[in-house]
Amino acid sequence: MEAYVPKLVCFSCDFGWGYVTAHDILAPQIDNWIRVTCSSKVDSAYIFEAFEEGADGVLILGCPEGRCHFEDGNFRTEKKIYLLQKVLEAYGIEGFRLRMILSNNPGGEDIPKRIEEMKKALGKLGPMKRR
Amino acid sequence: MADKPKIALCWLASCAGCDEAVVDLNDAILQVAEAVDIVLWPIALDFKYDHLESFGDKELALGILHGAVRNSEQEEIAKLMRAKSKLILAFGSCACFGGTVGLANFRTREDIFNWVYRDAPTVVNPEGRFPQPETRVDGKTLTLPEFYDHVYTLDQVIDVDYYLPGCPPPPDLVLNAVNAVASGNLPPKGSTLAPRAALCDTCPRNKTKPERIEITTVKRIHEVEADPETCFLVQGIICLGFATRSGCGETCIGVNTPCRGCFGPVPGVTDAGTKALSALSCLVKGGQYGDPKKLMESIDDPAGYCYRFSQPSSILGRKSRGENV
Repeated sequence: MEAYVPKLVCFSCDFGWGYVTAHDILAPQIDNWIRVTCSSKVDSAYIFEAFEEGADGVLILGCPEGRCHFEDGNFRTEKKIYLLQKVLEAYGIEGFRLRMILSNNPGGEDIPKRIEEMKKALGKLGPMKRR
Repeated sequence: MADKPKIALCWLASCAGCDEAVVDLNDAILQVAEAVDIVLWPIALDFKYDHLESFGDKELALGILHGAVRNSEQEEIAKLMRAKSKLILAFGSCACFGGTVGLANFRTREDIFNWVYRDAPTVVNPEGRFPQPETRVDGKTLTLPEFYDHVYTLDQVIDVDYYLPGCPPPPDLVLNAVNAVASGNLPPKGSTLAPRAALCDTCPRNKTKPERIEITTVKRIHEVEADPETCFLVQGIICLGFATRSGCGETCIGVNTPCRGCFGPVPGVTDAGTKALSALSCLVKGGQYGDPKKLMESIDDPAGYCYRFSQPSSILGRKSRGENV
């Protein structure tokens, strides 16, 4: 039997993550990676669509406190994530499957690491069960 | 009488508030009765389903269905109406988006049965009997419709031509819809027969809204005495006017009650709940100014609030039940 590998979608803010490394170098290392101009650009519908399409988890990488290029986009997203986690739980999906990290990494080498960390945690939960 | 267009009106998983909305046409209902021939309306007229079966395919000009689809009987009626009608109008929020009955999708069928027939404090069921689709009694078989494990919107079961949302739809829009069918002056298939703007655009309290709203304490309408003229959001009361289609006549706002979203999403949006959740997270003050988690956690049951009328049509709640839908 093949080992279970969780499917994860990662959205990352271009102002905080991987902006000094060429996209061609980073992109082949990361599956299902979507770069956005601000973490607040990630619409709630994108997150739900990802789960609907079969993702086991969604990771959003935003900028640290006080460092949002658009003043408070990262905080807006952080607030949204609290709400969405509660909504996911109402649908029978563990809120833990949606996670946001407020930090930055201009080189982008941490992006695959963060994804692997979350995949490892999701691996313990097993595939997503829908009601 | 034979020349008048034939109309059938039937209920599925519905509270009959939509039938009440038709009765609320008052004098205008006499004009409707003049213009059309009503061949089925179970709550008001004594016609049976076999009367509907006796019509030829597409013989009826319009089939109006209200209510969501939860069991096999409702699915059968919906399909029969589709076969006999040239046009199908999904009438009311339950038929359009799943409605409040759609909130049942947040629980499993098993949970619902256990509560209703076993665990609720008022239930006396020592033998632990649960309804079954078939039961043998004295050598005879009694049947009940099958209770599905999901609540479906009408368009997840049959092809729908037009949508008229509302809980229930207001009389002016009901009359417009019937007149449009009677006169043949119809918009493109799939249209929603209601205005396109969001409720905030037509809300009389809109002028009291400041340039930027920052909610510092989330309140529920029964916990406070809301000012009858000020925007609910400014008062910290969650109102879904920003994510909801207008056309209701602001009846809830008029009785000092915030919008709950019964008119569904504005054009171009399929999941109104996601838009409401996104907007809410921007309106609630937080971030460097306070503890966002604490404030967001003070919003009770965001799923129930943002999907009160639309769970079965939401991205994570939708399922299809027809082969041709």
